[in-house]
Amino acid sequence: MAGDAHGNAPATASRSWFRPSLVEGDQDFASVTRRVAGVVERPKPPRAWYIAITISGTLTLVLFSLVAYLIATGVGVWGNNAPAFWGWDIVNFVFWVGIAHAGTLISAILFLLRQHWRTSINRAAEAMTLFAVCCAGLYPAIHVGRIWLAYWLFPVPNQMSMWPNFRSPLLWDVFAVSTYATVSALFWYMGLVPDLATLRDRAVTPLKRFLYGFFALGWRGSSRHWHRFERAYLILAALATPLVLSVHSVVSFDFAVSLVPGWHTTIFPPYFVAGAIFSGFAMVVTIMVPARQLFGLKELVTVRHLENMNKVILATGSLVGLAYLTEFFIAWYGGNAYERFAFLNRALGPYSWAYWLMVFCNVVAPQFFWFKRVRTGLLPMVAVAILVNVGMWLERFVIVVISLTRDYLPTSWGHFTPTLVDVFTFAGTFGLFFTLFLLFCRFLPMVAIAEVKTVLPAAHPHAPQGAAGKEHAHA
Amino acid sequence: MLEPANTAAAPRGKLHAIVAEFDDVTAVTEAAKRVRDAGYTQFDVYSPFPIHGIERAMGVRSTRLPWIVLACGLSGTAGALLLQWWTNAVDYPFKISGKPLFGIPAAIPITFELTVLFSAFAAFLGMFALNRLPRHHHPIFEHPRFKRATDDGFFLAIEAADTRFDANRTRELLQSLSSHPIVACDEPADDGATPRWVRAGLVSVAVVALIPFALALASRFQDSSKPPFHIVGDMDWQTRYRAQAANPHYADGRAMRPDVAGTVAFGELATDQVLATGKTGADWTTKIPLTVDAALLQRGRARYGIYCAPCHGIAGYGDGLVAARASELQEPTWVPPASLHDAVVRGRAAGQLFDTILNGVRTMPAYGRQIPRDDAWAIVAYVRALQRSQNATTEDVPPAARAAMGL
Amino acid sequence: MNTIPATSNARLGPLATRLRTFALVVALVAAAAGLWLGHARGDGFQRFQHAWLLACAFFLTVSLGALFFVILQHLVRAGWSVVVRRLAELMAANVVVVALLLSPLVVLAAMGDGSLWPWADPAAAEHHPLIAKKAAFLNGQFFAIRCAVYFGAWILLSRWLLRRSRQQDEARDTLPTEALERRAPPAMVAFAVTISFASFDLLMSLSPEWYSTIFGVYVFAGSVIAFVATTILTLRFLQSRGILRGSVGVEHYHDLGKLLFAFTFFWGYIAFSQFMLIWYADIPEETHWFHVRFEGSWAYVSALLLFGHFVLPFAGLLSRHAKRNLGVLTFWAAWMLVMHATDLFWLIAPGVTHGGALVDVLDVLAFLAVGGAWTFGLALHAADRSLVPVGDPRLHESLAFENL
Repeated sequence: MAGDAHGNAPATASRSWFRPSLVEGDQDFASVTRRVAGVVERPKPPRAWYIAITISGTLTLVLFSLVAYLIATGVGVWGNNAPAFWGWDIVNFVFWVGIAHAGTLISAILFLLRQHWRTSINRAAEAMTLFAVCCAGLYPAIHVGRIWLAYWLFPVPNQMSMWPNFRSPLLWDVFAVSTYATVSALFWYMGLVPDLATLRDRAVTPLKRFLYGFFALGWRGSSRHWHRFERAYLILAALATPLVLSVHSVVSFDFAVSLVPGWHTTIFPPYFVAGAIFSGFAMVVTIMVPARQLFGLKELVTVRHLENMNKVILATGSLVGLAYLTEFFIAWYGGNAYERFAFLNRALGPYSWAYWLMVFCNVVAPQFFWFKRVRTGLLPMVAVAILVNVGMWLERFVIVVISLTRDYLPTSWGHFTPTLVDVFTFAGTFGLFFTLFLLFCRFLPMVAIAEVKTVLPAAHPHAPQGAAGKEHAHA
Repeated sequence: MLEPANTAAAPRGKLHAIVAEFDDVTAVTEAAKRVRDAGYTQFDVYSPFPIHGIERAMGVRSTRLPWIVLACGLSGTAGALLLQWWTNAVDYPFKISGKPLFGIPAAIPITFELTVLFSAFAAFLGMFALNRLPRHHHPIFEHPRFKRATDDGFFLAIEAADTRFDANRTRELLQSLSSHPIVACDEPADDGATPRWVRAGLVSVAVVALIPFALALASRFQDSSKPPFHIVGDMDWQTRYRAQAANPHYADGRAMRPDVAGTVAFGELATDQVLATGKTGADWTTKIPLTVDAALLQRGRARYGIYCAPCHGIAGYGDGLVAARASELQEPTWVPPASLHDAVVRGRAAGQLFDTILNGVRTMPAYGRQIPRDDAWAIVAYVRALQRSQNATTEDVPPAARAAMGL
Repeated sequence: MNTIPATSNARLGPLATRLRTFALVVALVAAAAGLWLGHARGDGFQRFQHAWLLACAFFLTVSLGALFFVILQHLVRAGWSVVVRRLAELMAANVVVVALLLSPLVVLAAMGDGSLWPWADPAAAEHHPLIAKKAAFLNGQFFAIRCAVYFGAWILLSRWLLRRSRQQDEARDTLPTEALERRAPPAMVAFAVTISFASFDLLMSLSPEWYSTIFGVYVFAGSVIAFVATTILTLRFLQSRGILRGSVGVEHYHDLGKLLFAFTFFWGYIAFSQFMLIWYADIPEETHWFHVRFEGSWAYVSALLLFGHFVLPFAGLLSRHAKRNLGVLTFWAAWMLVMHATDLFWLIAPGVTHGGALVDVLDVLAFLAVGGAWTFGLALHAADRSLVPVGDPRLHESLAFENL
């Protein structure tokens, strides 16, 4: 274990080189269980929860109504029209897929990198991933227009004796996003099973005992089971890591394999992945700060966790900045008149407001995280995180809309204006996202109980006796 | 003393295991080592989280899960490649955007995704299958304090199935390790199996769920003369006006709208009336309005060979391949193309020939859509040369060349 | 746990002198032979310059990979890697040797010799409109300035990292380590910018009409592979001489193996992205770069890279057992170094080898010369000082490190 208390600082050290404890407030196993399970077991959630779910539920209803309206009427209700056949639908799709990257990154990549601080946030972040994928997957599904024919995207034997075109990056997208959703769900559920068993064993009503018990699959914490469980967890993490990279790479292929100026550039795959992680972490910070306040999890999700996430935001934000710089430079260096124009047009054209706002939000705003005070202050960090979310949405807008409305032929140039349906559908996806997240907070353990226990000092043999062995009321 | 777990009056089955409880990780790990060293193999440690190093203490062999995952992952790879190759290159081959029917670079993303998908399912399902889960009922749950195993308790159970198991000796061993009371867990008399009606219900649901797929599969092998089923007809039967149809919205009643007066197509602005129409005022021009030189004649010759020769013949006698074939078949409606060497044709003004090429005459179609204006003039020039060549006299040969030609 | 104290036998000792002498003799003999042979070609040293750039690029990537590694360890406050970090610091500081050896090529380019970088010839812009468009960037003087900036930054940075780390060896407080950790983030920014643009300048501009935004990332991926493989081989060599046996164990090799595996995969991902996007879009000005590399015997080199640089090592290093078996790991480290050299050969040589992918004797001589000089520099930097950061506050964590 890299995070063990093996540090041995010289006596004169000006600061401690011990790895500080990952949770605060002298926790033992039972208190971790109580703290997390308590959120779910409380007879009534806090008033703020009711207010929040009312708002988000209303927005979700708006979303469903607008989707129904779209299906009944046709995609003409959106602002998409020649030459911008991709508009807010694709912008929002890429935005939500990007958000979906943080969860699996935290659970898989940070796991492989032995970053034990992930244990407090991975459950919520993974849940967020799933909900973001729901929002993302909705867009291509309704964008196809005749949604009842969406099964044409899958290699299903059909009456036309036709098969999908596997050489199209849009089909790769179907496979990448659905694989990602599936594997994330498996990963998330597998991690949940031991915690569901905890809830099962603490349940006081038969209904809860039945439901948690049913989904806990009879987990009983056998060490032989844990052994296979940990191996499976490691394998899933090792699989999910390249999967995370591949999903946004494939999304970037949608653009980069084309000949549209501003879309065809080889750095797109890693640059999209960095941007996705960037936006995903920003979203985790945005929702974890209020969630930990609301549900009393401040000792498990500490400011140090948030600060670490902010460091990741700073790093990926700087990477995105470097990618912008490289793109701009190579657009000039390549000597292609159309590429040069595409980039100048981003900065100086009719959508330059979007471009400069994006640069501010994505490149300038995270630089405030160089200051510890911003990194550790709750309000400043949420402010920066929200700016980053806005910026990453604008990035997709800049890429999709500016290139499409200004391509090779000036005769086919145009302008994209979203309709009210566009705007409210997007707002509705936030409603769906937050509704699912609020339900998750209410009914499932939002911190991985078993995993947090493994990072307590008492979880290791030869740890000081009695740290976690206290009897408690449940015995 | 050995406490029975299920003190209630429920009927008891045979002994499953003897269970000891521990307070911390160190104690249970030490106990596991001792039990292992005592030669037991059928025992288990229960803990609320994975204990680092407990496998070694228990002597658990490494799981074979990675091999299962590898096998499934490779079958995902192979399956994805086969799927893409067979569907796009064999069963339904079509060329699109200049890509090969099956190209490795374009096949990589889906191959990768399916490899990961299959591996992930193998890891997930394989783990639960090897753990014999789900199993909602287990004798260890009879232990009165076992609920702590998912909270902060640690348990070690030596199962009766172990070859070295002896109720007394095993109990003594555990008593020497744990300060908590030792508990015996019995197999419940009722084996905890799912009730028959639940199983029957599940099977029925599964069968019913398969019916639509079976029907779909069956209809793949049936012919039907019924029209296809249209869920939403507005793309199949659109409200629109067809060509040449009537439309009451317009005063002239026509659905097809003519060009607005004065519309000029790109590149067809007729600033020079002679060049564009072949007419000076109301009369056909007799002079070709372009400079007639060798290049123009060559161009005209080539265009003539493409557009005119099939009917009019290479030499212009109206004996082209199409005409020859039509007369061979004795087509009743066929009007033989004119010979360009008829006196009538020869007498026509250049402008009229030009107009005939662009707009057609009698059964000859108009070629204005295929032949650009300047090319039409080039053809006229070439036709003039052709006509002259078939009616030439010795006088037409330059004196210097006459000797060479034996004239 | 280790029974031998970590600090015992953590110096080169008498090996330093032997290494220095041997490396210097090899370097001088190979350089002399190479120069003489290069001159005898009568091609204005064109072939020799390419061979020299290849050799310099190889050792430059090792040093840059090391620089990245050192900054990264401070950035994330890693514990496991302390025992191998000093070697990385030495390799990074050794970038100064590459700077010296590469400078003649840069000077030649600045003087208008276009035999290596075609755009350096002022006449090139007249013949090629694309080069003319880039003349504001691709010209000898500006190029020399940029190279000075890159190498200056690397030299300053790597020497500072080594100096501070050595201060920590003797310091009674942990101020040097705190300074290292505080400065690591801006250092990483500087590293990222310089390696991207240096890759464009030194390698991508060999084909001045071609461009690829991902190129810097591609070179970066190769650099980390080169560094990790070199470190594994160096450790094995030193341990075979009884050095560092008390500090570096199988757990550290396991982690180095993981890095090697991860970056092999990352390289595959980047290489595939670059190739697939260019293959798919099929724009002649981009595809010609690959076209040259798929013609004649170059096709075999391309296939070798696909299998040798990605598929085989990926399969070979996948298993935990492979990474913990020192014989297997050493084999793959050596293999990846050969593949990295092949990769650079594939990037550099197609501009000059007209008869196909032929390794020239000049390539070998240049490699020996630069490699000898680099080894000499490394031994010089190492001197007779500890190869383990004995004063590092996380040293004990590193020594006790155990993989799950």
